[in-house]
Order: sequence, then C-alpha cells, then structure tokens
Amino acid sequence: MAIDSSRIRLPGIIVKGARVLGIPLRGFNISRRSASAARTLLTPEQFQEELVILDLSGKRFSPEEYSEALGNHLGISIAIHVIPDAWYPEISRRLASSGRLGELRYSEASGLAAIIVPGSLPPLVLALTVLHELGHLAAGDHLIESDEGRREDPLEHAEETMFTTSRIGRGKRLSRGFPLADEDLREHEANLRASYALVAGCLGSESPYAHDMYNVL
Amino acid sequence: MSAAQHQQLVLGGVSLAAFVFFVCLILSSRRTWFGIFVAFDLLLAALMFGTVAALDFSGWRAEIVAALLTELPVVFVVSWVCLAQAGRLPSRLGALPVEPAARRPWLRTVLGTAPLFLLLAWGVAAIIGLVWPSPAMHAYAPAPPQFFLFKWTIMVPEGFYSALAAVVFVMTARSPTSALRLRIKNLAFSAGTFCLALIALGSTVFAGVRLWVSDGSRRGILETLNTMETCLAIMCLLAFAFGLTLRYTPAIAGTLLRQFQTGWLLAQERFESLKWRAVTTGRVRGVIRASHHVAEAANLQGLSGSDTEKALATIQLVAVMQNPSTETERITPETTRELYELQEQILRDDTLATKISWATSWGSHADEPQTVKSAPLHDALKAALELVDYHDEPVDVRARPLWHHLVAVSAADARLIDPARIRTQLGRQPEHHVALEAYHAAKSLSRSLTLDDQQRRVDHDR
Repeated sequence: MAIDSSRIRLPGIIVKGARVLGIPLRGFNISRRSASAARTLLTPEQFQEELVILDLSGKRFSPEEYSEALGNHLGISIAIHVIPDAWYPEISRRLASSGRLGELRYSEASGLAAIIVPGSLPPLVLALTVLHELGHLAAGDHLIESDEGRREDPLEHAEETMFTTSRIGRGKRLSRGFPLADEDLREHEANLRASYALVAGCLGSESPYAHDMYNVL
Repeated sequence: MSAAQHQQLVLGGVSLAAFVFFVCLILSSRRTWFGIFVAFDLLLAALMFGTVAALDFSGWRAEIVAALLTELPVVFVVSWVCLAQAGRLPSRLGALPVEPAARRPWLRTVLGTAPLFLLLAWGVAAIIGLVWPSPAMHAYAPAPPQFFLFKWTIMVPEGFYSALAAVVFVMTARSPTSALRLRIKNLAFSAGTFCLALIALGSTVFAGVRLWVSDGSRRGILETLNTMETCLAIMCLLAFAFGLTLRYTPAIAGTLLRQFQTGWLLAQERFESLKWRAVTTGRVRGVIRASHHVAEAANLQGLSGSDTEKALATIQLVAVMQNPSTETERITPETTRELYELQEQILRDDTLATKISWATSWGSHADEPQTVKSAPLHDALKAALELVDYHDEPVDVRARPLWHHLVAVSAADARLIDPARIRTQLGRQPEHHVALEAYHAAKSLSRSLTLDDQQRRVDHDR
C-alpha cells in the first residue's frame, strides 16, 4: 500500500487535466508538490461520500450508530467505554494531565478497537471525543506503519492546502485518501470528521450536503 | 435549399430559441454552472447549424467536417452531465457525485470516462470520414458503407452515455431521502438525457436506412426520422429547461453550516475541554469548593436544573479565566468574547441552533438532548464576561437572574473576583441579598456536615 511507488512522475497539470477527461493514469505519479502522495484536509463533501458508503447519508444517526456502521464497514468490532469518574477517577486525571480527552486502542490481531473516554467530560465534548476517535479509524490512522509516524516533507507545504500522506499497512479504511503523515494534521482532521459527523447525524435529510448529492446540475 | 440544409436550419432555429431562454434563465436567480454551460453550448450549436444551413458544400469531405462540427455541442453536454454525475467536475463547479454513483465506484468510473470515449469516438469518426469521405449532408441520398461506419462510431458512445446518464438520473430520483422538488428535477433531466439517447439511436437508424433501404420507401422513412429528431431535440431542451427552473434551497445555508462546523463547534469543544482539564487536574484554585457551595445554595433556593448548570459552568469559567496557567492560557476574556460573539451569530439561525443536539448522558436517550440554544455555556459565557471583563464600565442596573447572583457571591467569596466590585455592581438588586443568604446558609450547612462527619469518625475510632 505504499504511495511513493511510482516510477514516472508527470507535471500536476497533466494529471489534473487527465482526471477531468476521465483518463486513468495508473502507475504514474504527480511531481513534487502535487497530488497523489499529497492531499487536502477532509471536506464536508468528501465526508458526505463516506456517509453514503456507510448508508447513513440523509439519515439521522447517533455516535453509537456511526460507530456500528463504521465497524461493519471496516470489519472490526468497536467498543466504546465511557468510564464514570466514581469508578476510576485517576483515568480522568491522567488524560487531563496529558492534554488528551480520550484514547483509542486497536488490536490488529483480534480486529478489536476500544475507545476509552472519561464520563465526567461535558456532554458536547464527550460526543465529539468519541467521534474524534472514530474519525481516526475512518481515516485509517491506526494502519500507519510505525516508522512513518512524523515524516513530513516541508516542501509539500509550498502548495498551501496539500499535505503529505503516509504509508499504511494491511487493513481497511473508509477514507478515500491515505492518512496524513503529520500527527497534528491527523488530529485536526479527526476533529473535522467529528464535527461533520455530529452535524450530519443531527440534520439527517436536512443537511445541504446530502441534498447536493441529488442536485448536481 | 437541400433537405439536409433545411433540417440544419430547423435545428439551428430551435437551438437559438433555447439559447435565448437559457440566457434569461442564467440572468435570473436560477443560475447554475450547468445553465451557463448549456447556454454557451446552444449558442455554439445555433452557429454550427446556421453555418451548415447557409453554406453550400461542394465536396464530401466538407460535408463530413460539417457533420462532425454539429455533433460537438452534444458531445460537450453529455460529457458535462456524466462528469457532474461522477463528481469529477472541478470543485467550484460541483464536487459531489450523485448518490447512486457515490454508492457504486464502478458506475462512477464509467461515468468519469465519458469525455475520453466521446472525444475519442469523435476523433476516430473524423479519421474515418476524412479518409473515406461520404455524402453526410445529402439527407435522402443513398449512402456508402463508410457513412454507416462514420455515423455509428459517433452515435454508439453518445447513445450509451446519454442512456446511462438517464438511468442514473432515474436512480437518483427514486431515492427516498431526496426532496420532492429534487426528484422531479432529476426526472426532468432523465427525460432530457433519454431524448439525447433516442436522437443518437435515430441517427444510427438514419444511417442504416440510407445504406440498406431501397429508393422507393427510403425518403418517407428518412423524413419521419428527421421530424422525430426535431421533436426529440425540442423535448430534450424543454426537459432540461424545466429541470433548471426547479430551484431547491436547503433550510440551512451551506456557508453558515461550514462556519458552524469548522468554527463554532471546534471552538466550543476546545473551550469546554480546556475548562474540564483545568478543573479535573485541580489547577484552578477554589473552584471545587465554590461549585459545591453554589450547587447547595441553588438546591436550597429550589433553582431549576438548567439554572444550576449555568451557575456551575459560570463559576468554572470565572475560575479558569482568573487563573491563566499554561494549560488554560487560551481561555482569556478576549477568547471568551470571541466565542460568545460567534455563538450569537449561530443563534440567529433558529433551525441550526435547535437542530444540532447532543445527548446529555452517554447511551441514554431518555433525557432531553442539549442543543446550541439550550446548552448552558452560552449564558455562562455572558455571565462570566460580565463578572470578569468589565473595563470600569458604569454600574449596570439591569436585573440579573438568581443563579447569576449566586455565582457572583461565590466567586467573590473565593476571591476569584473583587468583592467590592460585586457589591457596587449588583448589591442594590434584591436577588443579590437572597443569593447572599442562600450562599451563607449553604456554606454553614456544608461546614456543620463536615463537623458532624469529623465527630462521627472520632466516635467510630473510639
């Protein structure tokens, strides 16, 4: 699943033009500072396409339903553990001290993902934290090969909105693009995905993005 | 004027009339990128048909060139429709594919190849036509086999992609989550693209008739086919025009929603999580005790649950704003004011403010969910700003709710804010005295409970 495996690099304008004309350019890559090994942050439109794949487009859904649909798509079991403070107060303190709100644990061998969040989080933060961790699973961040962690080519930032992606191991993901290489960007994108999911789940068929899929001309 | 020139003149006239209509459409509020594109395409078609009708062609190659040029507007419009359905147009022209294409990647790929294969077919037909020329503009004359090959090379892909687009529009219209107006719109576009597919089919039959049918009956069939082509062209244009006049405006504007998703929601989450971290790690001095006294006083006064929540959120905010540590340095009066102003904008859209909600407790759907409107932070932000960020403004005599006074008394007692300032600001209001009494009663109660608890422990130890 390597991304930088191309033999021939073409100027970005040729590849973009070919895409508009529908010409498939397999085996080619775009030269430095262009797409393929780089991509933009997730847009609400791209998230809407993900919802179609999960069969949630135009429907109201809760974070639990999103989690179930995502787990079914990825072929893994996702467990969400909201730990009451009265049981394990040290979890809240440990997470708060480390500057985090929740944790995602993934076991490739058993196909299990566990999301752990403290029950004392404010309601909005709790919902968004769960969706944030689910966003990492949707993006395929859990599949990133360990040596790829923070690799980032500063030249890629010359083109403002394009960011380098990362190599990933075996496994399924929902996102069409590869996970981003930079950890901060991955966190930001997970926040965006959480925000889009919360709004889409509340608006259902009233979401303008859902309607855009029926109004293309 | 030959029969072919007559047919081109009719089609040119239809295209010109449709162009005028589409120009009116794009000058109105119902303008879309597709409408603009179709208007230019119709102008091109009218010019092509008009030129072909006006000129007298002296050779077969010239006739082939004329026939090729008149096909270009159709190739362009079918390509645009397929690319729009596949979501392959540049993002500013429309980034999303239609729902059936998003669900089926293979369909999206096939639709995305439309411009490539249509232009390729057009190019191949041009080579065939120019290498083996044929009387393309002699409508009723018998044609050689190469004319049939020339015509089919263009018409088969054109018919295939038009029919595919028509089917995709029908699938889109059938979706139960789509609004009624959008369903009708997609059905209209389906009718339009189906007419294009029928025109392509008619053209292939036309070529076959010219090749295989004998002189006696050929003219009658070809005249019928020409009339049918004209009717289909009119119906196609009417269907597209009808579809484009059906405008759908969602209840929530995309711009505001984008601002909400990438601005307010993330800012609110950051704000609340920073507050939670500061309180959980005990970095904000006195807030736990002050919160306890406020909750007790609210209980003594019989305040509602939502008012108690507002009071507790406010006391936490005041504590965090008055104790800027490394962790909480981003919660300043300035950032609080920015969030409050952003929230004010969101609250002006009643649909958005009431529709976006989240559960108050995980896994339980029994409780009423919180909305942007009902969440305590909005009132808490305002109250905290009034208590902390006053900039020596004159005394505000507006009455405040009891929970606000309770927070003021508690924050002053915990030395989070200046007690003298609170006395000047709120001391004249009767609720302030009620809050003072309730707060002190709660404090005494708490102290006596603590003493009782200590006594019980001593007794137990004995």
